Amino acid sequence: MSDHSSSITPFAKTIIVAKDEWRYWLRSKLAISVLAIGLLLTLSSVIVTAINTMELSHTRHALQDNAEQTFADQPDRHPHRMVHYGHYAFRAPSPLSVLDPGVDAYTGNSIFLEGHRQNSAMFADQKQGTALTQLGSLTPAFIVQTLAPLLLILIGYSSVSRERESHTLTYLLSQGTSGFTLIAGKGLALLSVIGLILVPLTVSALFSLHEGESVVAILGFILGYALYLSVWALLVLLCSSALSKNSESFTALALTWILLCVVMPRVASSTAITTVPAAGKLETDFAVIAELRKLGDGHNANDPAFAQIKASLLEKYNVDSIEQLPVNYRGIIAMTSEAKLTEVLNEFAEERMQTELAQTKVSRYFGWLSPMVAIRSLSMLTAGTSIETHHKFLREAEDLRFNFVQSLNKVHTEQLSYQDDMNRNKDDDASLKARVGATNWQVLEDFTFAVDKPSLRLQRSAPAFLQLLAWIAALIIVIRWLGKRLV
Amino acid sequence: MSYMFTQLSREWRFMLRQKYLLVLLGCALLISGFSVLSGLNEVEQQQHTIERLKAADASDRTDAQHKHDEIGMLAYYTFHLTYSAPSDLAFAALGERDIYPWKHRIKMLAIEGQIYESDTQNAELTQAGKIDFVFVISALSPLIIILLFHDLFASERSSGRHDLLVTTAKSPWALWGARGAIRFIALFLCLMLPFYVGAWVSGTSLAAIGLVSLYCIIYLAFWALVSVYWGRNASSAPKVASGLIGMWVLFAFITPILGDLSINQLVHSPKGGDIVLTQREAVNDAWDLPKETTMDAFTATYPEWKEHVAMQSMFEWKWYYAFQQVGDQIAAPMSQEYREAASKKYQFAGYASLLSPPMLLQRLLTRLAETDAVAAHEYEQQVRDFHQALRLFHYPFLFAQGEFDKGELINMPSFDKFIFEQQQGRDTDSVQSANK
Repeated sequence: MSDHSSSITPFAKTIIVAKDEWRYWLRSKLAISVLAIGLLLTLSSVIVTAINTMELSHTRHALQDNAEQTFADQPDRHPHRMVHYGHYAFRAPSPLSVLDPGVDAYTGNSIFLEGHRQNSAMFADQKQGTALTQLGSLTPAFIVQTLAPLLLILIGYSSVSRERESHTLTYLLSQGTSGFTLIAGKGLALLSVIGLILVPLTVSALFSLHEGESVVAILGFILGYALYLSVWALLVLLCSSALSKNSESFTALALTWILLCVVMPRVASSTAITTVPAAGKLETDFAVIAELRKLGDGHNANDPAFAQIKASLLEKYNVDSIEQLPVNYRGIIAMTSEAKLTEVLNEFAEERMQTELAQTKVSRYFGWLSPMVAIRSLSMLTAGTSIETHHKFLREAEDLRFNFVQSLNKVHTEQLSYQDDMNRNKDDDASLKARVGATNWQVLEDFTFAVDKPSLRLQRSAPAFLQLLAWIAALIIVIRWLGKRLV
Repeated sequence: MSYMFTQLSREWRFMLRQKYLLVLLGCALLISGFSVLSGLNEVEQQQHTIERLKAADASDRTDAQHKHDEIGMLAYYTFHLTYSAPSDLAFAALGERDIYPWKHRIKMLAIEGQIYESDTQNAELTQAGKIDFVFVISALSPLIIILLFHDLFASERSSGRHDLLVTTAKSPWALWGARGAIRFIALFLCLMLPFYVGAWVSGTSLAAIGLVSLYCIIYLAFWALVSVYWGRNASSAPKVASGLIGMWVLFAFITPILGDLSINQLVHSPKGGDIVLTQREAVNDAWDLPKETTMDAFTATYPEWKEHVAMQSMFEWKWYYAFQQVGDQIAAPMSQEYREAASKKYQFAGYASLLSPPMLLQRLLTRLAETDAVAAHEYEQQVRDFHQALRLFHYPFLFAQGEFDKGELINMPSFDKFIFEQQQGRDTDSVQSANK
């Protein structure tokens, strides 16, 4: 430290301390290499993930168009055959998933939509994975959430304790620099490192503007990370000022990092799974089946379950038999049973989603115990790559399914006579007669999946913001108190 | 012997007086205990789920068989539960059972349309990863070892006692060896005790327990030796630890991630969606194709039904199930390629894990516990084989124009019996090969 008179404002002193800390880092081989590696990792993760995400986005849009095209291109057919021919919905990745892909690789990203069934999403990327990325993947989210705190620890653990070990601390304090000013200066230096780490993130996030992401969401996302890394900078300062030796400060920080970044997130998810058991889809399927038995089989128009519909139809059109109805009775049955069945299916699907949300909530509570858990949820929620987004996809895919199936059933009811329909398996001619024109296949809505509105996403991440702010507030209070007692 | 014991007991007492060592060991014991507990819990839940599904499946099948009489209808409405139960070591290595499905409901329709259904857990929790014993040992224990061993010498150096200790000790082994051994044994016990309790609860075989212990000892010793060696001449403990933690980051994150990136560049796999699309197109086109086309493709694989393909009406179940099978046949090359790509990736990941001790240990232990991708692929093959057995059972009734008697259903393959027989077959094979 060059000597300065005590006439300088505390703020200017803070700047001087920060500059001096930088000078120390630039002279230290360890600090320089740690900084270089950290920035390199962040940068490469940003680039790799961006390339991957663009590829995914492109593929899924192409597949979606292709699916819509092949559906429309089908030849003349019996309309119910198209109900079983089915359609696909693909989940396009959200713009900010270039920074945090979240659950994308863990949930299937395509759903086969057909009549009478709700299929699960298929082909999660992880199933064709190498299992090598179980501990971490090269995504900006992982690098900044897990490795950046380690980087801050490695360059900052000795920031105050070093001064104490080399006996410069007493000298500094007796010169009229208050303890708090010193800590603030060291903190400023760490903040500048945080700024450096966030630059590649911000640049990449700005690119997602081009993909239609809103400024508000991007700001929230980057702010979240800034808060998170600030928590770590404060933790580093706290340990370094509270403990008298470099080695003690280092051990304490390393242990803190292990507990908060490596152990806690997994403890959170394990706890959530064990405290809120969720029945799998298979299991709820049995409940669905039991429920559906009461409804009758839509393939079989003579099922006694439909007697009431039959009676009311005959009354409505004032005729004596099904054959005399102006509409196709089989189509009506298909339509009614699909509607009832969907109601049941949705009830169970909704229940399953609620259970998943309850589980997720349990794991998110751990954000009070670990800032890493807080930023994880904040990041996924803001980026729209959390479980909520996947649920939105499931719901929209279901709407798409229901609408196209019912449109086909409508065609079945109105465009195909009951007589032709009943004779469809008699011979080739009868089978040809029981078909409708391919022009009827233009029933698909264009399906483009988009994430929730930014306001909703930010609203969901509010608790996580609160958790981080609480951490920051608590740490600042403790550090202020320490700064007064710094010796 | 007593001399050694004196050394060890001195170091033991010394360790008990160092608070931060006790904190570290306490953390190790707590985390390991938690991991075993939640692992046991998870496995128990899986077993309960299977039990419940079995009961529901049986009553559902009885219902369906009660409701329908025609063999084609029966095959259409009868589902069969297939599952892969967790092994008695699964509690310690939950592996990838949260990513790969381990239960399905299968019926006579094309298998390619059914096998990719996944009934997996909450994706957001899966993404965070779970804390099982394997994770504690492979990823976490090196960090605890680094904190325990990196300053074996440096702490004495920086406090100025080093030279005095060295000159007064009888031999360096008596001092450093005893100190290292005590720390190592204490940590080993803290990490492994919960596992032994869990193994006793789950009735894990002694051979498996022995193997796991051996792997863990070698792994822990590797990290301990590296930590001691790296720190032997250093005077600044934090510098040593930084280097060691850097090495851990390299092994746990960087090499596996680089391996993953390069493997995904090297191995190209067909898209899963394309398999299902192909199969669906084939099955749907079959409705409009001449019946002979379908039947010819079917009898190319099953020539025994060549004489029975003539049809009396526009729709017959035998034709329906024939085109389901033909759909599978058309998608088969892609499906095969998809599975080969997956196993190739697994094989390459094996080479990559040679550069990453934590990954290597994970692979060894999940293989042992049968919770890895290989086990998932074996299960998938079982489901495929069972599906085939199911088809072969139905074909005679569908194609041979005989009268179908419902009493025949007793002989219908069941998945439970099927895997039991497979197991028996494997056992006799191994006995025969042992006798050769």
